[in-house]
Parts: sequence; structure tokens; C-alpha cells
Amino acid sequence: MAAAPQAQAQPVSQAVKGRQRRAREEELLVWPDLVFIEFIAAVLFTILIVVLSVMVDSILLDRANPAVTPNPSKAPWYFLNLQELLLHMHPALAGVVVPTIALIALGAIPYFDNTPEGQGEWLSTPRAWKNTYLGAAVGAVGTTLLVFYDESKHIWAFEKLTGAQWPEALNFMRGLRGIQNEIAWPAWTLDVPLGNLLRADLLGLPAIELDWNIPAFLVEQFIPVNAMVGLPLLLSLVAHKLKIAQTKRDHMILQFSGFIAVFVTLTIIGTYFRGEGLNLVPYTIFADPLH
Amino acid sequence: MAATERPQGRSMGDRLYDAIFQNRLWRSIFRSGYPNTPRNQMLAVATNVFLHLHPTRIHRTHVKITHTFCLGGLSFFMFLGLTITGVLLMFYYVPSVDRAYADILALETDVRFGQLMRNMHRWMAHGMVLTVLMHMMRVFYTGAYKPPREFNWVVGVVLLVLTLLLSFTGYLLPWDQLALWAITVGTNMVGSAPILGEPNRFILVGGFQVGQAALTRFYALHVIGLPLMAAVFMMVHFWRIRRDGGLARPL
Repeated sequence: MAAAPQAQAQPVSQAVKGRQRRAREEELLVWPDLVFIEFIAAVLFTILIVVLSVMVDSILLDRANPAVTPNPSKAPWYFLNLQELLLHMHPALAGVVVPTIALIALGAIPYFDNTPEGQGEWLSTPRAWKNTYLGAAVGAVGTTLLVFYDESKHIWAFEKLTGAQWPEALNFMRGLRGIQNEIAWPAWTLDVPLGNLLRADLLGLPAIELDWNIPAFLVEQFIPVNAMVGLPLLLSLVAHKLKIAQTKRDHMILQFSGFIAVFVTLTIIGTYFRGEGLNLVPYTIFADPLH
Repeated sequence: MAATERPQGRSMGDRLYDAIFQNRLWRSIFRSGYPNTPRNQMLAVATNVFLHLHPTRIHRTHVKITHTFCLGGLSFFMFLGLTITGVLLMFYYVPSVDRAYADILALETDVRFGQLMRNMHRWMAHGMVLTVLMHMMRVFYTGAYKPPREFNWVVGVVLLVLTLLLSFTGYLLPWDQLALWAITVGTNMVGSAPILGEPNRFILVGGFQVGQAALTRFYALHVIGLPLMAAVFMMVHFWRIRRDGGLARPL
């Protein structure tokens, strides 16, 4: 074979040789060093779970009854973030489009940020922690403020602080729905016939006669989409201008931390602050079986 | 010849060691001796199908607990624990609208350790969702998704989805009010997708509302369909860790 001598002729620099030797000295044997840790971890967590299971029983309500809808009805806790979104935008957007795009974006992270820096150590790039804090803080505070706005908490705060009534002229700012309900939209905007625009018939599905309700579209789709796309972009832009986020990795940390904070905040609100009628009040499911 | 170099008789310990670790039975099972020398320690890992998930050596920073917090391993541990307790629960549970709830009640009151098994299964299910999410965060913040590990991150995202689906399908099985209405709310979200939502919801639930068809489907997915898929993706996930050069290291 002609290829064999070529492989031998590969020059190996002194630096590479030195590095290889150093690397060998920094290695440990998996047995016992890693296997021991894994064993201890398994034992500890077995004990932890047995103790937890002895102390706390899992919840079991009454037998399923399709005729009785509990108030509130909630999805499992890890989907309550989506259920929370459902209260603020079009159900197709919150229930399907946002999670699908979020998962695709999550999977695409390494294809955006393919730089080698910052590997193998916790937040090791220069501005990593700063971006984590910034992303997490903006995500958590921003989400909370947006939920408060949509629940008209700013009106409650305004009336508490000033003692005055919320001005009539600003009724369209009572919450996101205010734009739809408190503005005198001309009748034609509520029903713009677009006809068979989506051409679902081309896919062999029933044709859809689309009637466009512009205020509803604004409130349920246009504004939420722009907020979900625009606010993170704005954050990145501001962080870039302030030189907090400079590299791809910086922006990725900023956005990921923001995403995690939004996810956690929405989950907490959906779990602990959505009570009867899904109103924004403290709530816990564990009070339920007692009555 | 100095006295110290004179051949000695074999000590009791040596003979005991040989009797246990050098006999034909031990050798037929493990092939290498007891892992008390570097050679045997490496052989113990390399010649064992389970330990072979690991390389024989790793970098010393990677055994630091604070580097990984064992989160990936804990997720796998939860999966194994859920499989064991899940199989035990299957002994007592029939996925029928008429029986399911009564079976859970019987499990809690009549079956020895039944309540414990159910509790362990539920807490580990919640725990697995948490450890998988935290594992994802660990991988992100240590930059371990970067080339050449991009694809393993994608496999991890698939495993996250499978974990959520496993938990979600299991949520229906106790057939109490919590289960029925959580799954009704969850599947209605699927149904809200434009055009394809309602057909998809119908396939998932097997009807217009959550009933026997949904319970059958969720049970089948929960006990065999999704665990098999998760196992396949886990195989790829673990294999790729090795293929991509182990845990990520600073350049």
C-alpha cells in the first residue's frame, strides 16, 4: 500500500509530544476512581428516594370523571409553562409553535455557536458569568412584568399608589386584550375575508375560508410573536452595545440563560400562582385531597 | 544469596486470593483477576460490557463532582430505577378504565410495599425530568456541546423530549381526576395546532375525549414504546460520548 509510508512521515512536533506526555500523567484509572464515585452516588440517591417515598405519598385524587371538570385543570408541572403561555396568546402559538421552535432552537445551539472557546470548564470565558446573570435576571423579571401587565396588575399598583382611577383614555393598556376590546375598531377590521389563502386543499385537507380579525390577530399573534422574538434580540443588541456580550459564546450564554429563566418563571407562575379560573392567585395542588 | 531473597512459602492471604480470584469459575465470568493492579483495573473496565461504557482512563478534572454533578449518570440511574419499579407496578395494574383506579387503590392498601413502589416510581419520574433538565444546563454552561459534540447535544434534546413524553404518558395511568384532566389539557394543546392539530390529537387520544382508547395508547407508549426509543437514543448518546473523545476539556 502506498499510503502506509505517508502516515509514518507525519512530523510530530516537540510541543505535541510534550502535551501528550503531560496529559497521560493527569489521567486517572476509571476503576476505582470513577466507578467508586458512581457507586456512592447510586447508593446515596437510592437512600434519598426511598426516604422521600416513605415520607411523602404520591397524590391520588378521586376516580376520573369526565363529567366533573376540576377548577383549575392543569397539565403536568413541566408543561405548565406552556399552559401559562396559553393564557396570553393564540393556543396554536403557545401549545405547538413555540415549543416546537424552542426545541429546534435548542438543538441548533451547537450549530450557531461552533467556536471552540469555553469548553470543558464551567463558564470559563471572560464575560460568561456576567451574561448568565444578565440573561437570567432579564428573563425572570421581564416574564414576571409581562404576566403582571396582562393580568392588569399595573392598574392595581397605579390605583394603590395614586389613589386615582386608571384614566379612561388609557383603557387599551389595561392588559394585552385591551388593544382588542377597548379600542373602537371599525367593523371591517373584524372580518377581512381572505378566502382560501392557506390552500390547505393542496395538501388534500379541507379548504379553509380564512376570515381575518385584525384586532384579535394583533393581540393573539402579532404582538406575542414580536415580543418573543424581538425582546431577546433587543437584549442581545443592548448587551452587544454595552460590550457585555461580544463573542458568539457570550450571546449564546445570554440567550440560553434568558430562556431557562423564562421557562422556570413561567413554570413557577403556572404551578403556584394560577388558581381557580386560572386567575393569578397563590395556589397549591397539595391542599386539594384534604377537602 | 541474601536471606531476604530466599523464596518464601506463599502466605495464607495469597492462597486465599488465588482460591477466589484465580479459579476457573471466577475466570470464566470476569476473565481478569481482582482489580488490584493497574493492569487488572483497566481490564476490569475494558472487558466488562457494562463498565465498557467508560474508557479505562479519564482526565483527573472529570472525576471532580462539581464538574458534572453526576447529572447525566443520575438521569440514567433514574431511568433504571423507573424500569425496575415500573415492572413491579405492572404486576398489579390493568390499563382498563374500569379497573385502573381500583388497581392503584389496591396497590396503596393491599399490596405489600405497593405504596412505596408507586411513590418511588413517581418521585423518580419527577426527579428524572429535573436531572435531565439540569444535565442539559450543565452541558451548556461547561460548553460541552461544541464541536465535535454537536450531534450528541441534538441526541440529548431528543432524550429530553422522550423524558417529558414518558412522564406525560405515565401521568394518565392512575386514572384519577388529576390524571384525566392533566392529559385533557395537555392533548388539547396538541389539538390547537393549525390544520394538523386536531387529527394528531385524535390519533393520540384515540377519540374525541380521553377514555379507554387513550388509556390503552398511553399505557403501551409508557411501558414499551417510549422506553425502547429512549433506550436506543441513550445507547447512541453514551456511545457518542466515547466516540467524540470523552467529556469536553479546555483547549
